[in-house]
Amino acid sequence: MLKMKNNYFQRLFWILVIAGIWKAISLSGLFSPLIFPSPETVLKSFYLSLLNGELIRQTIISLSLILRGLIISLIIALILSLLAISSKTFAGMVETLLAIAHPLPGIALMPLVLIWFGAGTKAIIFIIVHSVLWPLVLNLLTGFRAIPEIYRLVGENYGLNSLKIMWYIMTPASLPYFLAGIKIGWARAWRALISAEMLFGAAGGIGGLGWYIFKKRVFFDIPGVFAGLIVIVIIGVLVEDLLFNKVEDITVKRWGMQI
Amino acid sequence: MRKYSAIILISILFILLLSGCKKEVENRISIAEQYGLAYAPLQIMKAKGFLEKNLPGIEVNWEQLGNTAAIREAMLAGKLDIGFMAIPPFLIAWDKGMKWKIISGLSISPLGLVTYRDDIKSIRDFSPEDRIALPQPGSIQHILLSMACEREFSNPRKLDDLLVTMAHPDGMNALLSRKEITAHFTSPPYIFKELKDGKMHQILSGKEAMGKEFTFIVGAATEKFYDNNPRVYKAFVSSLREAIDFINDHPEEAAAILATEYNLPEEEVLKYITWPGMKYTPVIKGLDEFAHFLKKNNYISKIYASREEVIWEDVKDEK
Amino acid sequence: MNLLEIKDLSRSFVTGKNKLLVLQRMNMSVKKGELLSVLGPSGCGKSTLLRLIAGFLKPDSGSISLKGKPLSGPDADRIMVFQDFNQLFPWKTVLQNVVFPLKLKKVGSSRKEREEIARRYLARVQLDEFLHFYPHQLSGGMKQRAALARALATSPEIMLMDEPFASLDGQTRSTLQEMLLKIWQESESTIIFVTHDIREALLLSDRIVVMGSSPGRVKKVMENKLTRPRDQLSRDFTEMYKEIYGLL
Repeated sequence: MLKMKNNYFQRLFWILVIAGIWKAISLSGLFSPLIFPSPETVLKSFYLSLLNGELIRQTIISLSLILRGLIISLIIALILSLLAISSKTFAGMVETLLAIAHPLPGIALMPLVLIWFGAGTKAIIFIIVHSVLWPLVLNLLTGFRAIPEIYRLVGENYGLNSLKIMWYIMTPASLPYFLAGIKIGWARAWRALISAEMLFGAAGGIGGLGWYIFKKRVFFDIPGVFAGLIVIVIIGVLVEDLLFNKVEDITVKRWGMQI
Repeated sequence: MRKYSAIILISILFILLLSGCKKEVENRISIAEQYGLAYAPLQIMKAKGFLEKNLPGIEVNWEQLGNTAAIREAMLAGKLDIGFMAIPPFLIAWDKGMKWKIISGLSISPLGLVTYRDDIKSIRDFSPEDRIALPQPGSIQHILLSMACEREFSNPRKLDDLLVTMAHPDGMNALLSRKEITAHFTSPPYIFKELKDGKMHQILSGKEAMGKEFTFIVGAATEKFYDNNPRVYKAFVSSLREAIDFINDHPEEAAAILATEYNLPEEEVLKYITWPGMKYTPVIKGLDEFAHFLKKNNYISKIYASREEVIWEDVKDEK
Repeated sequence: MNLLEIKDLSRSFVTGKNKLLVLQRMNMSVKKGELLSVLGPSGCGKSTLLRLIAGFLKPDSGSISLKGKPLSGPDADRIMVFQDFNQLFPWKTVLQNVVFPLKLKKVGSSRKEREEIARRYLARVQLDEFLHFYPHQLSGGMKQRAALARALATSPEIMLMDEPFASLDGQTRSTLQEMLLKIWQESESTIIFVTHDIREALLLSDRIVVMGSSPGRVKKVMENKLTRPRDQLSRDFTEMYKEIYGLL
């Protein structure tokens, strides 16, 4: 507990140091305030955008997109990896798909996605699913294959059928790999989402955080660009540090199953 | 203690790194343009070597960037001296404190909102399900559409919810494939290609939106460049005039040069650069109208007291 | 009637082009309530025998019947205790690990009741202090004790123990052997105990099935008449040890 507090203290300390350096540079007058806005103007822009609801609305849009993408990926990944471990034919198919699709950055698919889906929500979700799905499948497959045979034997011994073995044994046993996959997937999806939103912009006047930053950019509002970046960092930290670490703490870390 | 000295050291290094060492070279110029027929005089200037002729020994660096935002950012960073763009993005950055002014107009151009839908005859006919593609919020296309909306509906933001941001080529492809978007607000050569399709028609021209003729593309120079390089500045201005005059006086010859630059057939280029409404002129038209509209709708916070605040002195304005 | 009857049991494995006969026409029987050791060198097929009885493997020929009925697949009437310390589920506490099969077999009417049963068995293996520990927090010996409690909790017809103490240090092994004997005597369960350790077989069992290898087969079935508690240093013990050693 003490160590954790220490960590937060350290974080805070370094953030203050960075803010101090930032302030010093902006005071030094080396750069035009247009390039290097002072921390106060950034905070002010952040505060104003929070106040008028713009930032919150766009953050919610981004998060809902990513959530939808994650859920779709999760379902497809489960189906693909379960198929792959239950049949050699499907394993070949899934592995081929993985080999083709996994190395492809989502952004590289943009031109095609535009033709297939147009520049709307569907396109962004497609990019997110592409970014999340393959690392997730890869991790799930590795996870399922890494389950010691003995767990399955114990399950069979108590008369469990394959479905129950999947539910009671394979699922918790592969959780460390699943979590690792989700973590990679989240990081990739978050990046893909922001880039996609900056490229596709918004359909029907509604856009997410990437769109927010893009809009601030075209209106030459550099403090606003920084404000958008701050939100991205905050969400990244919250999800990584709080959500994922918490989930790991109460599951795989407690179980001694960390990979 | 060691930690703190490390912090100080890192900070100093960081500041030194950022400040860098900037060299001022009198005989160098960096110019940014975008793709499109509205920038044709720059292609002529480049191909005919006007700048090099007017100022022997000058080192010219031409950059073609994908969008206005990138040009503004590069100029702000000191990587570019002169950039070409439409009036609204210029004014937006000027309002935010960017130290730059307009050198000259470059072109007046037909702009227009094109659709494939026969039932759409004016901007009144759009339904909430329709989508209109244009480059980005704050672009001249967006401002012109807002102007038309103000006139038609007394609400400049009436159609904002229908907007989709697309670069010109993407918007053209989307329109021609009749997918995703209903209409596209664009400029030459895209607008010409779209209208060539036969099934497409224009429902709003830039001129109708504005209510009068206006300059599409202007050139702007940073204060730093203007103050430090008067000779280069002068040479650039006269070279630009020379290029504009060349297109107007020798359209066939210009078309031959541009054909290779744009990789289009010569006759087609000739047709485009002599298209009704396509004019190459240094005169700046419509600046005040844009400024007042932007101010009225809070895109900018102030208006210049005199035009000298936004235009370097030696621009001929036949207002 | 014998509880378990094995008749002419054969099983072979195919690896690549080679077919390896692991068990050849095995015959043996297990009486209710007895502790039977299957003793043999490694590779004699004793683990395969246990897996056949558990139902994890199918015989090539021959039959295994429990209470006169031929076996079909694994079931909770024959519970295996493995040598592998990983047989507990790491995501469950010691208590949850024991409750889990009770829940599956619908033993007890409520969660509370099942936990009560699990606690009782865990107390018998002296793990009452560690109910809420996760397996990774336990020593090897404690894990095996928990596995034993889990096997006992569902009261199987037969417990199949596949060298459960072989990976433990000598001291712990002795403790666990005594614990197993005590529990067996109190609960009257039937145990097939596979080992390669002659001493262990002599200490624990009523009868010893001595197996020979390649292919695995029964060499001799010996009655172990040594009086309990058994003394490893007694003359009778040493005599029997020598006899079995000679067989192997």
